[in-house]
Amino acid sequence: MASSTRSQALLLLVVLLPALVAAFSEDNPTDQRVLVLLEDLALKSSHSIFFKSLSSRGYELDFKLADDTKLALQRYGEYLYDALILFAPSVEGHLGGNLDVAAILDFVDSGHDLILAADTHTSDLIRDIATECGVDFDEDTEAVVIDHINFAIEGESDHSLIIGDKLVESDVILGKGGVKDPVLFRGIGHSVNPASDLVVTVLSASPSAFSAPPNAVLKSPPALTGTSISLVSLVQARNNARILVSGSLDLFSDKFFKSSVQKFGSSSRSGSGNEKLAVELSKWTFHERGHLKAVNVNHHKVGEKDEPSMYRITDNLEYSLEIYEWTGKAWKPYQADDVQVQFYMMSPYVLKTLDHNGKGLFYTSFQVPDVYGVFQFKVEYRRLGYTSLTLSKQIPVRPFRHNEYERFIKAAYPYYGGAFSMMTGFFIFGIVFLYHK
Amino acid sequence: MAGGGTTSDVRSLVSSLRSAYAATPVKLKIIDVYVLYALTTALVQVVYMGFVGSFPFNAFLSGVLSCVGTAVLAVCLRMQVNKENKEFRDIAPERAFADFVLCNVVLHLVIMNFLG
Repeated sequence: MASSTRSQALLLLVVLLPALVAAFSEDNPTDQRVLVLLEDLALKSSHSIFFKSLSSRGYELDFKLADDTKLALQRYGEYLYDALILFAPSVEGHLGGNLDVAAILDFVDSGHDLILAADTHTSDLIRDIATECGVDFDEDTEAVVIDHINFAIEGESDHSLIIGDKLVESDVILGKGGVKDPVLFRGIGHSVNPASDLVVTVLSASPSAFSAPPNAVLKSPPALTGTSISLVSLVQARNNARILVSGSLDLFSDKFFKSSVQKFGSSSRSGSGNEKLAVELSKWTFHERGHLKAVNVNHHKVGEKDEPSMYRITDNLEYSLEIYEWTGKAWKPYQADDVQVQFYMMSPYVLKTLDHNGKGLFYTSFQVPDVYGVFQFKVEYRRLGYTSLTLSKQIPVRPFRHNEYERFIKAAYPYYGGAFSMMTGFFIFGIVFLYHK
Repeated sequence: MAGGGTTSDVRSLVSSLRSAYAATPVKLKIIDVYVLYALTTALVQVVYMGFVGSFPFNAFLSGVLSCVGTAVLAVCLRMQVNKENKEFRDIAPERAFADFVLCNVVLHLVIMNFLG
C-alpha cells in the first residue's frame, strides 16, 4: 500500500518535473504560469486580443472567476503561479478562496508579478492592494478622470473617454520606438509619491484633466488635477517584483485596441496606441525586458589571479563582473557606460566607472586607499525600467606589516648619522669623563 | 647715551660671566661641550628636514630625539656631579654616572627601534 502511494508520487513528480523546471527561475526570469482573475467571464472575450498576445508569447493563462471558491495562489507552500492578472475591479471583501490583500502582497513580496486594473467603482480591496504598492487611487469612489479638452469625440458627453499621450520616455518600458499613437483611457486616476523611486508613472493625464464624479456640480476643487494624475503606473519592488497598475480596465479591451481615435478639435483620425502600450507593458511586467543579472564578481591584485582574503593599503587591484540582460529568450551582454563600483567604508573612498568589453564584462582597476579597515566593493545600479542591481562584497584592508616598510632610505641618512654620532659621542664622552683627573 | 650704557652693561656682563665660568671645574666644561655638540647635531637635522621634507618622519624623529635626549641626560648628569649643587649632595658622582649610562642605553635602544 505504502509503496504504491510512493510510486504514484514518484510518477507524479516525473510527470510534473518539466513543468516545475520550466517555471520562473534565476536563469529564466520570464514568468510562465499566469493566473487571470476576472470578475466576469465575458472579459475573456472582450479582452481577447490582450490575452491572445500573452498566450502566443508562451504564457499559460489560467482563467478563474475572482469569486471562485477554489482559488489558491499556493499549495503546500509553493506558489502555483508566477504572475497574477487581476481584472476584477469591483470585487468586494476578499477574493474567492480567502485570497485577501495580505495573500496578494505576500505573492508580490516573494518576487511574483502583478497586473492590476481598476475601473470606475473600484472596490476597497483593489484600492488597498494598490495603496500597499505605493499607488493611491482617488478616494472619491464616484470620481473618474475627465478632460474637457483632450477627449475622444467617440466617447460620451461627460468627456470621460480621454486621450493620453504623455508617456514615459523609456525604450526599456515601452519597447523600441515607444508608443506613438494616442492611448484611450476611461477610468479612475491615481497619484504616486513623487519621492518614491520604486514607482514610475507611465501614462499621465494632460494639464487640463481632473478627477471628479461625471456630470456633477463640484462644490470644491477636485483633489487630483492636471499632470499629477497618473493613469497607468509601474512599480518595481526592491525584490524586483513588478506591478502594473492601471486605472482603466477598458484600456486592455479589444474595443479600445481596435478603435480609431479622433481627438476633439483635430480633424485627423488615427489608430489607438492601446494595443502596443498594453502588450509592451505586459512584456516589461512579466520580465521579458529590462531584467539584469550580475555574475562572476571577481577581484584580485594586479598581476594575480586568485581572490585574496584581504588587501594591504595602497595595493593595486582589479575588479570585474559580468552583467547580462534578459531578452525574453536568452541572456545577452548588457551594454552601458554608467555602471560604477564603490570601494566603501562608511562612505565611498573610491568611486570608479567600469569599462566594458561589449561582451558583458565590466572591469576596472584602482589603488586601495591609504586607509585600513573593513571595506566593501559595492555596485548599486538603478536605472529606469531595469531591475536594480545591488551587490556588495566585504573585504578587509590591512596596514603595512612591520617588515614591509622601506629600509635604508637615502633621504634619512643624516638622521641615521645623527643617531649613530650620538652613540659614539656617548661612548667617547664616557671615557673622557671617567678618566679625566 | 642710553645705548652706550647698555653696551657697557653687556660688556661687563659678558666679562663677569666669562670670569665666573672660568672658575667652573673642567669636568663640567666637558659636559657642556657634549651638550653643545648634541644640540648642534639636532639643529642640523631640523634644518635638513626643512629642506628635504618630513618623509621618513620616524627617522627624523628618532634622529632629533636621540640628540635632545642625550642633551637632557647630560644636563641631568651635570646637575648631579656639580659640587656647588646642594640638592644632590647625597648622590655620589659614580652613582650619577651609572644612572647616566643606564638611561643612555635605554634611550639608544628605543632610538634604534624607531629609526628605520
